[in-house]
Amino acid sequence: MISKRNNIESLVASFALVFVTIPATAFAWQDAGGDEKKDESAEKKKEEPDKWFVVKNAEIHTGTGAVLRDAMLVAKNGKIDDIGHDLEIPPDAKVLDAQGMRVYPGLVAISSSGLLGPTTSDFGDTVNPFNSNMILGLATGITTTGSGNAAVKLKRFSIKDLVVREKIFAVFSWSARNPSGKRSLREKFVSAAAYLREFRDWEDKVKKDKELKEPQKKNVDTTVLAVLKGETTAKFNANDRDDLLGIAHLAQEFGFRPVIEGCVEGWTVADELGRAGAMAIVTARDRRPKDEALVRDGGSSIENAAILHRSGVAVAVVSGTESVDLGGIVGRDIMALPIEADFAIRGGLPEDAALASITTTSARILGVQHRVGSLEVGKDCDLIVVDKDLLHYEAFVQWTVVDGKIVYDKQKELYFAHIRPRPDAPAEPKKLDKGETEPKPDADKPKEGPEEGGKKGDGEKKNGDGEKKGGDEEKKGG
Amino acid sequence: MMLASLLIPLLPLPLGGDTKPGPTPNLLAIRVGKAETIAKGTIEHAVILVENGKIVTIGEDLPIERGIPVLDRPSWVVMPGLVNAYSRIGLDSEGGDDSAAEVKASAELYAQAKDFQEIVKYGVTTLGLYPAGNGVPGQACAVRPLGKTKEEMLLADACYLKIIARASPSAKKLIQDGFKKADEYAEKEKKAREKFDKDKKGKKEDKKEEKKEEPKPAPGAAQEPAAAEDPKPEEKKDDGFVPPEPEPKAKPWVDLRAGRLRGLVSINSAAEFLHYVDAIGKETFSWDVRLVVQRESDVFYVLDKKTYDLDFDGIGDKKCRVVMEPVLSVTPGTMRNRNLAMELAKAGAKIVFIPRNDTLMDAKAWLANVGEIVGANLDRSIALRAVTLEPAELLGVEKRVGSLEKGKDANLIFFSGDPLEPTSKLEAVMLDGRFVHGEVKL
Repeated sequence: MISKRNNIESLVASFALVFVTIPATAFAWQDAGGDEKKDESAEKKKEEPDKWFVVKNAEIHTGTGAVLRDAMLVAKNGKIDDIGHDLEIPPDAKVLDAQGMRVYPGLVAISSSGLLGPTTSDFGDTVNPFNSNMILGLATGITTTGSGNAAVKLKRFSIKDLVVREKIFAVFSWSARNPSGKRSLREKFVSAAAYLREFRDWEDKVKKDKELKEPQKKNVDTTVLAVLKGETTAKFNANDRDDLLGIAHLAQEFGFRPVIEGCVEGWTVADELGRAGAMAIVTARDRRPKDEALVRDGGSSIENAAILHRSGVAVAVVSGTESVDLGGIVGRDIMALPIEADFAIRGGLPEDAALASITTTSARILGVQHRVGSLEVGKDCDLIVVDKDLLHYEAFVQWTVVDGKIVYDKQKELYFAHIRPRPDAPAEPKKLDKGETEPKPDADKPKEGPEEGGKKGDGEKKNGDGEKKGGDEEKKGG
Repeated sequence: MMLASLLIPLLPLPLGGDTKPGPTPNLLAIRVGKAETIAKGTIEHAVILVENGKIVTIGEDLPIERGIPVLDRPSWVVMPGLVNAYSRIGLDSEGGDDSAAEVKASAELYAQAKDFQEIVKYGVTTLGLYPAGNGVPGQACAVRPLGKTKEEMLLADACYLKIIARASPSAKKLIQDGFKKADEYAEKEKKAREKFDKDKKGKKEDKKEEKKEEPKPAPGAAQEPAAAEDPKPEEKKDDGFVPPEPEPKAKPWVDLRAGRLRGLVSINSAAEFLHYVDAIGKETFSWDVRLVVQRESDVFYVLDKKTYDLDFDGIGDKKCRVVMEPVLSVTPGTMRNRNLAMELAKAGAKIVFIPRNDTLMDAKAWLANVGEIVGANLDRSIALRAVTLEPAELLGVEKRVGSLEKGKDANLIFFSGDPLEPTSKLEAVMLDGRFVHGEVKL
């Protein structure tokens, strides 16, 4: 027995020796290391399962014009995976029941201040994702904001992947008060355009004649060149009719689409701006008296946004002041963003354009329309659940979702929880059967005729779902 | 006259003054109504035997040998002397704005500073002194507040490295730069190691033991990648290798990584905690938090990962110590009180209380303020621990002070009643077995 055991021990020892000597060769060691790494990454993938988020029973306003009744939206890892009816809910999904509510894309504020805390351009190192202004911004429905020259998401409790785009605008000045400035800017455009023509020409010819010299970039303004190449957006801050006209002509001459902030007298030259493909950032309630010394039209107009829109100018609406401001003139701060769009409607802007003015158009102006601004498959799951029409002054944002994560819940934050508190259970389906509330939604949306066909079927489903819910509630009651 | 002069030496203790008690016998038994031992709960009718400045034994109703002088105070409550782990009492110089992690607060220590004599009267028998300044101002030391010289006062040095975390690129860079210095040192150490191994190998080859030595460099080579990441295993190998001395500026960061030094990270808000966590990235070293409790503190957001579904670990998840003032805060934008200390403790953090302000006045009101937090539902045992053993552990002097246990320094403070009651009076303070405050007659 003893000798046997010794044998075994020696065997084990020799095995151990072999084992020790294997990693001795560098090759074997490296190999093992590689395998380990692979394993690790595989494990990590396993550790982090897909995060699913679902909104169901909602009236989804996608922001592209379509409205889906009693529909669902499924998001996977913060991106919209599917929108439609009767979709499969993944087992681990976080489900938000938006019965009786409307879902809109998260709002895009062209500019704001304070929502991200006291930030500098180093967003990842300075944003305060716990500050109360951010909560109020999310309560307004804002999920993306322009800040400085960047577009940043309001990601609560996180500083990861905040910035959607940086270096959006090249800001130019064009003012009647500074004629030399106008002249020099025009010269910059002339030389940049000339260079660009030469360069494009050279690009064509160099394929045949490889020894051809590249045109010299001397004296070409790189910022202007970037604008002409479409790499950056030219932004002007202008309100006077003359200036707007000048910008429109400059844009038409050199073929770029200017963004014009302010644009108070834009309505007087709307056709020219439209022809230039201009995009305007307006505040519907801007007030400016007409210069009575001039015969021509001038001053502000409540119809500004509407007229610009009719002339083909993409209109984004911003609030009077950029920060959350609970003092001063009430209702003009960033929290009144949808209200500001309402005033544009008051001036004749169609409702869909008004919604676009704080979602898709503003996203387009910031150059982030590929990620935010509307609810489409593949885009970020940034949405708001509103109890009424978003543009109704009584509407409250009930939930705000950024990257598929609920970051604002009206009932959980102290700011508006006490105003018209949300009932814990979704609206009771029995009432619907009685026809008490049924006429209401129809009366609310007379415009959405084309959807009628789909609606009927949905309505049936809704009732079916409703009955189920009713059953659940009864159980709870019991 | 003759009689009087004969009688005086017979008295066990000369009549002590109000503040300056006379000499305490070397061996003394103390019998009190209650002892808060911190380490082992509350002992009723406690007897403590003190000899040569140390606690020899402590227990309930222990028999006292005849001949040992006895201090009998059945109405008193005794607890370990208070430990203020985060103070600048007795220091006065201003620090700079620069990162100076190598600076030590002990360099500023002046034994004759009056504040030290004063602070003892409020029951503070151990102080953790930190260096002033912004950024990474340096390392703290632990002192006993009475001593003729600096050396006599110093209990421990390089207790923790103070790091001020801010939501700014410069503050975050300061931390990252520090660890870059440690990286440079690790590189240097690795090279020294390689050279050492090579030399050693060469020597052994000289001895003509080639065959036996062959397998040896193999495990060495296998270990090297691991060693580069963590210098610890290298030190454990007792093969005569002496790692090179890091540069003074790099040393604190090398020590942090090696576990020889703790970090104490000062934050004001949740955002500063988040940005600090972001700044250290995957760096693993032990650190605690100095939370400056502001009235509308939003730190409740980062207590744990679960509540707000954070993408990083909260303060409670890290199970670190939180050095904080005993004050209530309010939920931002409201008048609703919040007991952050209680919330932190529930989330898993360990609480270390310091006086509300670093002044003698607030040192006097310290325990009463802690009492208020206990009144607002913080567990009493956590509160008592938070002024004694927990700060002692933060300073790394828990083997000497912070609780009433056999073998520890006899730092005792005596109250007329519950120490956390504002009506209780601090009757006497004993530091290293000697009464330093209070009128004590045996």
